[in-house]
Amino acid sequence: MGRPDSHPGRRLTAIAFIGLLLIAQIAVASPDAQVAIDVGVVVASQDGPTIDPELSSIRNQLQSMFNYSSYRMIDRLKRTLSVDETGEFGLPGDRSMRVTPVPAKGNKVRLAVQIMEGERNLLTTTLGLSRGGMVIVGGPSYRKGVLILIISAE
Amino acid sequence: MDCTKAREMIQDHIDGRLPPDAARAVREHLGACRACAAEEEELRRVGDMLRLWSAVQVGERELALSPLWTRVRAGIEERKEPGLARLLRRWFWVPVAAIVAVVALLFYPSDGARVPFHPKSFDVTVESLESDTATVALVDKGKGLPRVIWIIENGKT
Repeated sequence: MGRPDSHPGRRLTAIAFIGLLLIAQIAVASPDAQVAIDVGVVVASQDGPTIDPELSSIRNQLQSMFNYSSYRMIDRLKRTLSVDETGEFGLPGDRSMRVTPVPAKGNKVRLAVQIMEGERNLLTTTLGLSRGGMVIVGGPSYRKGVLILIISAE
Repeated sequence: MDCTKAREMIQDHIDGRLPPDAARAVREHLGACRACAAEEEELRRVGDMLRLWSAVQVGERELALSPLWTRVRAGIEERKEPGLARLLRRWFWVPVAAIVAVVALLFYPSDGARVPFHPKSFDVTVESLESDTATVALVDKGKGLPRVIWIIENGKT
């Protein structure tokens, strides 16, 4: 015969916790159709040797790709979008970027991206990335440097 | 019976503590002596007033004791409750707190906005690329480096 449980409330609590964590896990993991877009808005220039701490993990890649001495992140924009839902991201200099996840297979993410400057269409592209992948869009001038957009999708 | 003896016995007479013979003797004296009868009347009135005052005091004390009694009675009732109901009532706040904590974790706006980038891959397929007002170039410097789409605005960059 088992010993009577002197703290049944604790057992109840543990069960409740595990149940809720499972529910939370399911709630977070289930919407495969959703795509988390993370955009780092960086100004690259020759204005001093500075690199933003948020870019430390990709410092080598930036220095290999470009010839600037300063990389300053001026904004970080995040949106979670469903497939076919368009998210608009405001960019410096009267520019904006519209991102629409489009249907993709497997672990891939497809993004329709459009960058506008006022009414002018600077770029229209469709990109295919692995989840957690990254692509860089750059070039538009901004103050003494250029604008670089670090786009990742999860 | 003289007045001195009668007055010694009046209070006991009022209280009914005298033997029948003594009580009768006192009654006879009171019937004959107006002063002692007045004394007896006075003592009876004081007695009535004391009883009234005592009753008021007890009533007030009962009010003060009431909350204490309520708690005692609640304790007794709680002891009578079935074990599960008592446990549920005692531990009810724990699962509630757990739910609140999980919900808060789910919906708290974490400031992940400032976490450094940690790309899992630079593998990108560019399906289409066009611009109405600029020249765009796709730069691929090889594996391990991100692909770059570069916008050249009429010779500005």
